[in-house]
Amino acid sequence: MTPARTVAGLNLGKETAIVSLAYLGAFFATFEVLMPLQNILVPAFDNRASLLFLPHGVRVLAAWLLGPRSVVALLPGVVLGFVYAAGWGAFEPSRLSAMAVAVTVPATCFFLLRLLGQDLRPAPDRRPCWPCIMGIGLVISMISSVLTNYAFGSAPQDYIAYLIGDMLGLFFLMLILMLIFRGLRHSRASGN
Amino acid sequence: MSEISKLTELRKLLLDMERSMGLQDLSTVERDIYYAASDHTTSAGAVKTTLLQEHALLENVSRPTFFRALKSLQGKGYLEQCKNSVRGYYIVKVPAR
Repeated sequence: MTPARTVAGLNLGKETAIVSLAYLGAFFATFEVLMPLQNILVPAFDNRASLLFLPHGVRVLAAWLLGPRSVVALLPGVVLGFVYAAGWGAFEPSRLSAMAVAVTVPATCFFLLRLLGQDLRPAPDRRPCWPCIMGIGLVISMISSVLTNYAFGSAPQDYIAYLIGDMLGLFFLMLILMLIFRGLRHSRASGN
Repeated sequence: MSEISKLTELRKLLLDMERSMGLQDLSTVERDIYYAASDHTTSAGAVKTTLLQEHALLENVSRPTFFRALKSLQGKGYLEQCKNSVRGYYIVKVPAR
């Protein structure tokens, strides 16, 4: 293996570790903290879908930053998340389909958007546009929700629940990251 | 894209969100200069004024507007002139609030 390929492989390995860990962190925060809260605060919402699905934010941001490499980077995290939630049932055809949707749809949507003339990929000469990321996040969520719930044979209200959970998850993940970065900036500034 | 530049791009996105929410006090030109300076300092440390002026985000900004915004960024603590080098070099700083 040439040195350049070795470096590229190491970089992909690093990206995969970071992204999958971030995905799992968001997954556990959602299912171990937010969903119990949801069940207390909204008991009438008898549904297994989270109304604040933070992992969707990780999927969208990973696809935005890494492009097609996000498919590989997300895969371990998504698989482990499904295994945690469903045990060996994670390898049933419907869940395998859901995993494939989760890792491929985000990068595909960014790619298709580029083909349509709207390249949102980060670049030094391009201003970032967070509402655009929210917009593509909505498209990713709609496509993922339709494909995933079709695979599961879900009820119509599940489609809506997934959509709400994904969009709120993306927005709140970005908000949390924004506040973390602000906090780090201010603590560094006061330490100067 | 390197690790640091990916982090820089994420930081720029979240700065954009901050600005939309009214949590940041930068004008459009000031923000673009800060973005341009952030892009260059990932690779070089300090950034030269001429390099900033040549950045794609600032190509339509007039010289007076550019230097007014640069001075404003210094005043707000986002940029600092390099003390131990020739004039015209700036370092990206973290503003204290």
